[in-house]
Amino acid sequence: MASVWNPQFHSISSQPSICGWKHGISSNILELRRELGLSYSRYNWVQQRTARSFLFRALSKSANSDEDKVVKTETEINGWKTSIGKLQETIKSLPPVVFVMKKDVGINFAIGLCVATTILVVAVRVYVARKVSNSRPGSVADLVRRGQLRSDRRGISRPLKYEDPFNNPLVKVGKSNSTVEMCGKVYRLAPVTLTKEQQAIHQKRRSRAYQWKRPTMFLKEGDSIPSDVDPDTVRWIPANHPFATTASEIDEGLAQNNVYQKHGVPFRIQAEHEALQRKLEALQSEQKLNKLVIDPTNAKDFERPFKHLKSHEQAGQGPSNHIGSDSSPEEMQKP
Amino acid sequence: MVSLLLLPKTPNPLSSIYTPNPFKSLNPKTLKPSKPNFKPKPHNPTTIRSVLQWNRKPQLAGDTPRVVVITSGKGGVGKTTTTANVGLSLARLGFSVVAIDADVGLRNLDLLLGLENRVNYTVVEVLNGDCRLDQALVRDKRWSNFELLCISKPRSKLPIGFGGKALIWLVDALKAREEGSPDFILIDCPAGIDAGFITAITPANEAVLVTTPDITSLRDADRVTGLLECDGIKDIKMIVNRVRTDMIKGEDMMSVLDIQEMLGLALLGVIPEDSEVIRSTNRGYPLVLNKPPTLAGLAFEQAAWRLVEQDSMQAVVVEEEPKKRGFFSFFGG
Repeated sequence: MASVWNPQFHSISSQPSICGWKHGISSNILELRRELGLSYSRYNWVQQRTARSFLFRALSKSANSDEDKVVKTETEINGWKTSIGKLQETIKSLPPVVFVMKKDVGINFAIGLCVATTILVVAVRVYVARKVSNSRPGSVADLVRRGQLRSDRRGISRPLKYEDPFNNPLVKVGKSNSTVEMCGKVYRLAPVTLTKEQQAIHQKRRSRAYQWKRPTMFLKEGDSIPSDVDPDTVRWIPANHPFATTASEIDEGLAQNNVYQKHGVPFRIQAEHEALQRKLEALQSEQKLNKLVIDPTNAKDFERPFKHLKSHEQAGQGPSNHIGSDSSPEEMQKP
Repeated sequence: MVSLLLLPKTPNPLSSIYTPNPFKSLNPKTLKPSKPNFKPKPHNPTTIRSVLQWNRKPQLAGDTPRVVVITSGKGGVGKTTTTANVGLSLARLGFSVVAIDADVGLRNLDLLLGLENRVNYTVVEVLNGDCRLDQALVRDKRWSNFELLCISKPRSKLPIGFGGKALIWLVDALKAREEGSPDFILIDCPAGIDAGFITAITPANEAVLVTTPDITSLRDADRVTGLLECDGIKDIKMIVNRVRTDMIKGEDMMSVLDIQEMLGLALLGVIPEDSEVIRSTNRGYPLVLNKPPTLAGLAFEQAAWRLVEQDSMQAVVVEEEPKKRGFFSFFGG
């Protein structure tokens, strides 16, 4: 509407209430300022009212005589120019953010309220989800979080209390046609078609195709098969097999006893321990012999006679000195 | 969360997960699914079963200890990963588990469980008399009812033909131990059909066959199944590992139903491909213990559940086109 009277109004605003009105531009602006804070609808009504009255008066004035018209138009034009100038100054002085909506203020408020509510709901959901995902306070998970415990070996998971193990919020069952939504994909359920008869047919097929008997005898290459053994149960072991050994390194009966043992020291440990004990005892007994002390009263029996002095006495004394002479070198050699 | 319910029309409605209207039997007062009535099992006529079980411990079926060998034939399909994750899932459900790494010479189960620094004695030392059996068992500190037993350290030898008997003695000794017989003895079988395989399957009563959706693995799995059946193990169930639902949708990979049609085995579980397996191996922390659980972890838990109740899958998941998300979907709808 403002564009009918003055093209300059396009650049300012499309709101006709800000149009120049020689009687009360300031009053309109005051009114505008008040009503911006109150309601946009009232402002628009005022805006329409002023625009309509403006048009009415403009139309009514055009019905006057030409002379009056010329004088009046000139004065009017001058008046309008001053009012327009004042208006422009007023608009420049206004704060930059003057948002006046075209439509009804009530709808805009409702839309804004919905947007705000949505954002609030989403924020609350995120907060609740985060809270649920965190473990309860004071649990072992807090120790893991603080780095006191290793998380890779520590089971944070709680034991199942027979709840639905498939209670996964990511799995959503569709309302129609048995669809299941999991992890962003949609799946349909297809029934299994295998029947008991088909299973029996497959079993018969396999029994014909695969004839196998469990091997009970393992022989090396070159060994002969005993006469009472079914050749199908003989397993031939190649000579270069890395883990093959037919020699019985482990006594079967002993191995079985070892497996069934529930208490006490394991057999080999016990055997080694006993062997060690025996060895220790043997060593100790040998050391006892080494530490025997010589009786000084019997020392003479062990003395070695001098050769150049006692050679004749040895010949006269006979076998008694022979024993002494034999033992004396040994006594001399011992430390 | 609403879980899927069983169809009442199936004759053995143990673990069907297909229903046309999962909300049909909702209790209007509590909005929780009401449990439908099915044909009861002979040993417990009041048992009510559903696929995605809730609020109850799985009921142990069969005689204890349940000696299960986890084998595949082909190497690298996920036997050790399956043993570790299913074993820990069983322990979490409250069952006592002993996992035996029966690979003589190439030991890996301790690495996956993060127990490699605690293995001091193995079965070879027990047989030689260097230690008792209880000293060779390594108890997991995360779940005290889970124990690990390794057959041998690397670079040690065990006489061929002797290992099978040794495992039988082991199982008997575990049954007779003072703290009671374990509920489950899981035997991680080595690859191949050689002496190690023969040793591992000796004491087993049932088998879990791990396979992947490729033809090489399937051929080996079929051979191994034949050998197991020849040796007298009839209860054989299958776990299909490393499944890529996107490739199945694009028909670049065999579907689980195709695999079942080829092998003719009941399904214990379908494990999707998950990069978290590598990370969990690096950490020594099996992925079933992750919070929140991954898809593969959930699948292992489901498989453990079915193993306890001697159950099998009645339906599989097939990937479909994702639904178009509305403007307000990010609000949690």
